[in-house]
Amino acid sequence: MAKSLIPKLPLYPFVLSAIKRVIVVAKTPDTPVKPLGEYPANKLADALHPACQYLKVEKIIEQTEDVKTFVFVPDTTRGTKNLAWFSAGSYLSISYSDDNIRFTRPYSLSSSPRKSKENHYCITVKRTEGGIASNYMLDNWTVGTKVVASDPQGDFTYEPLRDAKHVIGVVGGSGITPFRSMAYAIADGDEDFDLTILYGSRTLEDAVFTDELKALSETCPKIKLINVLSEQRVKGCKYGFITAKLIESVAPKGEPYSLFLCGPQAMYEFVDKEIKTLKLKPKYIRHELFGEYFNPTNDRGYKGKKDAEYTITVRISGKEQKVPCDANTSVLRALEAASIDAPNRCRSGRCGWCHSQLLSGEVYTPKRVDGRRIGDLEYGYIHPCCSFPLSDITIDVPPVPVAK
Amino acid sequence: MNNYDVIVVGAGNGGLCAAATCAKAGLSVLVLEKHNIPGGCATSFVRGRFEFEPSLHELCADSTHPKMRSMVHIYRELGVKTDFLKEDYLYRVICKGKDGYDHKIKATRQGFIDSMDEAAPGCRRQMETLFELNDLFDAAQIYMDDCGGVTGMNPITLLTKYGDFVRAAGNSTDKLLSALGLSEKAKSLTNTYWGYLGNPPRDLNAMHFISLLMAYAQAQPYVPKNRSHGMTLAMVKVIQENGGEIRFNSEVTEFLYDEKGAATGVVVNGENIYARKIISNIIPNNVMNLSKSRFTKKMMRKLANARKMGMSVGCVYLGLNATAKQLGIEDYSVFVLQDKDANVQYDLRKSYGFYIVNCLNVVLPDCSPRGTSMLFFTITYFDGDFPEDMKPEEYKKYKNDLAKKYIEDYEKVMGIDIMSHIEEISVATPVTFARYLSTPNGTIYGYMSQTWDNVVNRVVFKDLENRVKNMKFCGGHSLRGDGYPSAFITGEMMAKEVIKEIKEGK
Repeated sequence: MAKSLIPKLPLYPFVLSAIKRVIVVAKTPDTPVKPLGEYPANKLADALHPACQYLKVEKIIEQTEDVKTFVFVPDTTRGTKNLAWFSAGSYLSISYSDDNIRFTRPYSLSSSPRKSKENHYCITVKRTEGGIASNYMLDNWTVGTKVVASDPQGDFTYEPLRDAKHVIGVVGGSGITPFRSMAYAIADGDEDFDLTILYGSRTLEDAVFTDELKALSETCPKIKLINVLSEQRVKGCKYGFITAKLIESVAPKGEPYSLFLCGPQAMYEFVDKEIKTLKLKPKYIRHELFGEYFNPTNDRGYKGKKDAEYTITVRISGKEQKVPCDANTSVLRALEAASIDAPNRCRSGRCGWCHSQLLSGEVYTPKRVDGRRIGDLEYGYIHPCCSFPLSDITIDVPPVPVAK
Repeated sequence: MNNYDVIVVGAGNGGLCAAATCAKAGLSVLVLEKHNIPGGCATSFVRGRFEFEPSLHELCADSTHPKMRSMVHIYRELGVKTDFLKEDYLYRVICKGKDGYDHKIKATRQGFIDSMDEAAPGCRRQMETLFELNDLFDAAQIYMDDCGGVTGMNPITLLTKYGDFVRAAGNSTDKLLSALGLSEKAKSLTNTYWGYLGNPPRDLNAMHFISLLMAYAQAQPYVPKNRSHGMTLAMVKVIQENGGEIRFNSEVTEFLYDEKGAATGVVVNGENIYARKIISNIIPNNVMNLSKSRFTKKMMRKLANARKMGMSVGCVYLGLNATAKQLGIEDYSVFVLQDKDANVQYDLRKSYGFYIVNCLNVVLPDCSPRGTSMLFFTITYFDGDFPEDMKPEEYKKYKNDLAKKYIEDYEKVMGIDIMSHIEEISVATPVTFARYLSTPNGTIYGYMSQTWDNVVNRVVFKDLENRVKNMKFCGGHSLRGDGYPSAFITGEMMAKEVIKEIKEGK
């Protein structure tokens, strides 16, 4: 017999614990296994992040000639009873289809998080040149229109441990929507920070929500609104573009501040250059989603053939199809043009929802919108929403998850 | 009518390993994963310039005996190509309070013994004994494997040759360390890793814990170079290269059975898919909830109801705009203890009792952009620790308060500034893990390894308790408890059973 190193420890508990197992299991009542939704952590997870939210348009508010706010309520007939709470600055990925069209697009929630408790969500949509989805919504959606939305998404939100206590919102056009939500969240006491909004637009009439935000700033001193008009001189508004100088003039003196940028891509290009002179640490500069990337073949250093046409072989759950795609069309857009449903949310390369495997061929992913992980690069995975073919390619795309 | 030989449900480490093993053996395999990426907990996520590891601290990847199965063996045999880096230290452990201490414990057998003896003078002999015990545990497990499992064993041989295995397997870590006569301090230092198994030492199976600790110490902790996401994509590649198929966004909504109650297939995205064998990487509770009640087995329902859920965690992920050196961080893995007694750490877990802070840049300097670093806090949660009725609108504040509390405490302990360097922050709680893993209360460890539900008993009772024909379970909730390597090993184990059964026409 081997000499024991731990002779003081008895042998019998080994057998006892086995006997105990038999007894414990025998004594446990045979009731159905507790459903997941009854555990507190799972219950809260479901409330914050439902698999999807069925919504219908309850009201349409015409803000200007080419801007409308769609007010959504839960579509109880399809099983959604309550709307998920969200952090101001979040977006919904909204899917819509009818006989003419189907699309999925991200829209910032423009309403107060508190309103979700009253079962209201708002998105505000502006007409844009070539904006297939936006323009269709503005022209065709009516009270009663039904859509499927994701759970609230995104990270363009205020984080008290990361961001400065004072936030300057740099806004272009319809980029005002997340800031409207943040302003309400501050007024409602759900967020605690000072928000100065530099709101760039062509004219004052284009600057939707101006009156509302002004009124809010009068009752809540933490909120300030400054209209910056590029084509109109109006008393009380700034004239021109949002420059470094303007930002500095509204910034708190001797204290750090965060810049939150949301607007069209042209605005990012302009403002990004401007703010370089401010020498802010990257932590104090936050951009909302870049939006879909266009004309990658114009990028400096682009290596592909500019006018090339390629073929994408796409596999979904083992079934294969072929679709055409030119060098300036994202893989996702090419699939959508061929009426293939492919998962997508942010459409800006960041969220990873469209994560797909590149089985053969090459793609170009602009650096600005390349949100992939190290492993993706090593093993050939792409985000189709911001990948452009450089050759014929074969990809494996996961199916769109079945909505529950 | 079978579409595949094997369907693997869930592409966590266990599922991936099971699928790769089956595919390599020539079986037709389909893996179904509800998410759009593989890995379960073994993944990564991007915020700004940073790619965070959601759960991995370090891998107990290699074994202490050439015949013992380990991730390294499995990877080699499957042909998975992924690089690992080894750590030189097991941990730095800082115990607060008036008899507090601050020590760095080295990896490797000799390094561990030397640094433990330096930290708690006089424990050298006892530390050597722990390694000797572990050698014996390895031998006992190899003997059991050679016997083809528990039923083939000779109890007399087990008792005479491997008596200390039986002793340790039946007693708690507390009892074993006391029997060895460890001082309070040596005990405290030895218990540092208790959170890796999720039981306080009074309820922690001694064989399980000592095997884990000694394996980590002897083989050194590993970190995957391409991160957990790279590791799991490497597994996917092997599955595909061997003819296996993996489908993402494919959540199983029902398990199918024949009239005799044998598993036959699953429903996924509205389609019925059939296979000869099902390997579930998802927890039996969920499988039962996704099966028509007449097909669930009484024994399995009762067992599931008797069990406690294992540990979940709260995590704070920080992307910092300064290097580790600039911040004054020198260690990969720091354990902060409120009390030197690990049982008290468990009892005080809601107020700084025990937490871990990792800085991956120490091992992998380029894991974040130049001039930056990442910190990752882990705080333990047990079943029932998460507030019962938290409202959705209270959750953001809860997360921020949690992060603030631990960051400030760590700043105080280390005398460094972290807060002003936060460029990215993300906070996970059991709610996050419940959301991504769909486990009860977001457990990341499967079932709690209580005294009666320890890993040895799980093995002993495996065939008695799993009454569903053609269905196997692998992963953290399975035989070997939590951790990447355990998931790998159970995945391989179940795959081998399936391969054998199919070969024998069962």
